[in-house]
Amino acid sequence: MAEQIDMTDNHRQIERDAALWLARRDAGGWANRQQVGLDAWLAENAAHRVAFLRLEAAWQESARLQAFAAGDAAGRIPARGEWARSPYFAPSVDGEKPIKHGRRVTLRKRRRWPVFAGIAASLLVAAAIAGGFVWRDYTRVDRAAWETAMGALKVVHLPDHSTATLGSGTDLHMTFSQGERDLELTRGEAFFDVAHDTARPFVVRANGYRVIAVGTRFDVRRDAGQLRIVVTRGLVRLQSAHDPAKPPAMLPAGSIATVTDGDVAISQVTPNEAREALNWRSGFVVFHRTPLAEAVREFNRYNTRQIVIADSSLDALRVGGNFKLDNSDAFVRLMQAVFPVQAEQRGREIVLTRKAQAHTAH
Amino acid sequence: MAPGFPHAFRHPLRCRGLRYLRGMGSAIDDWFVSEVLVHERALMRFLHRNWRDHDEVPDLRQEVYARVYEAATRRVPDSPKSFLFATARNLLVDRVRHQRIVPITAVGDIEQLHVMQDELEPGRWLGGREALARLARALDRLPDRCREVVWLRRIEDLPQKEIARRLGISEKTVEKHIAKGSRMLADYFHGGSDSNAAPDKMRSERAWLSKST
Repeated sequence: MAEQIDMTDNHRQIERDAALWLARRDAGGWANRQQVGLDAWLAENAAHRVAFLRLEAAWQESARLQAFAAGDAAGRIPARGEWARSPYFAPSVDGEKPIKHGRRVTLRKRRRWPVFAGIAASLLVAAAIAGGFVWRDYTRVDRAAWETAMGALKVVHLPDHSTATLGSGTDLHMTFSQGERDLELTRGEAFFDVAHDTARPFVVRANGYRVIAVGTRFDVRRDAGQLRIVVTRGLVRLQSAHDPAKPPAMLPAGSIATVTDGDVAISQVTPNEAREALNWRSGFVVFHRTPLAEAVREFNRYNTRQIVIADSSLDALRVGGNFKLDNSDAFVRLMQAVFPVQAEQRGREIVLTRKAQAHTAH
Repeated sequence: MAPGFPHAFRHPLRCRGLRYLRGMGSAIDDWFVSEVLVHERALMRFLHRNWRDHDEVPDLRQEVYARVYEAATRRVPDSPKSFLFATARNLLVDRVRHQRIVPITAVGDIEQLHVMQDELEPGRWLGGREALARLARALDRLPDRCREVVWLRRIEDLPQKEIARRLGISEKTVEKHIAKGSRMLADYFHGGSDSNAAPDKMRSERAWLSKST
């Protein structure tokens, strides 16, 4: 494992170095001596060279965006989304856009470069035809709701460029206004990758709590009577919605907070451990010496066919490994192979009992 | 070469003289950009689907690229795309073997990594409109200050020095924003998403049991 972590750091470092070379060369006043330095770095090994080539290719491509500046006053930087979401563009490769956008079109008036005249013209035509649908209107409130079925997983792109990943059996309601990005989790679990916007706090309401973030990544899970928050990046504020007098809890990255009956328990784990709690996003779950009862609960979240432990002496068996969440069969098979466990299909349930040697009844 | 480099002439690395300085590398560099990098989206899909720790995917990608490039310095592969995927597959198999985990379902699973149909589509530089849309979205994902700096540098073509003056920040800071911006743009432009995004579906099925249990 150790050498893999090293390798990982190594690659990130190489990419950072490559980006610095690129930025320095871009700064101008690039002397021959510096070029020799860059050449030497590139020649050192293939990893350096591919990292640099990759950044350089995208960086050069980005100059094509000059097409959009045509006609705009120099020095005016368009607001985020203002231009990128122009009707000129094909439907987002980012996936679904559940929101109906306001109708307001700003047409560009003048073009600077003949080369881009054609592009600009087609932009105008497309804008006219499409009737213009996107420009953000800051007085408007965006509302939408999503749900997932049992076992399903869905990635939702929110209008502020944040994303929400919805786990099995989840309901999420969105109300975005000028002052606040409000989401209500009425059921299930969701992971949020929040776009930074200090002017509009990002609030997830669940189980009578408000989980408040600015730009960060965190996960909120609702169970009967329980709420769990996992923070993998940034800082999140956890606040009771009913009892404003209660002091809020600040949760830095690596926190796992569990709220049960109004009591908040917070544990600090390593970033890797925190991320493991989020493996459901890729359809996997990781157990480390996890009690069988807890592991079974995890599978039951994702499968309509429920696993039932009929013999409570099995609850405490410790399970380890990585499993595909929607394949409880594989999990049950494995339990039978490794532990003194016997599985039996009864209707919609898989019932786990202790193997015959301990039960003369069989 | 590349339709992808309309502004190539601006950059010293692509000037004839310096290209000569880079020697052997340059022909393979061009090959790498136009024949290998164009498949990054497909490669990322493949890696995401077949590797459960998604945080490691960018590193796997870089490792694959390095192996492909190295191989190309000896002999340029006839079919870049199948060579790329064969390399990726071999890397995953190597990694599984070196991990301290014992596959429960036979290692056979990973030896049968499939390349899906969608990964077999021909790679290409995106057409003008599509590329612009991607670039625009990529730019919008940059943090505020970084986005401003990249806009002024790439779209308005202001020198870094002038950007520093205008925004009232140091040249060093501008350079840092450029470095960061170039990385984020590359991820989105080549890969089509930020590398941490969860894939839509998980089709591979594997279970491991850690030795400790």
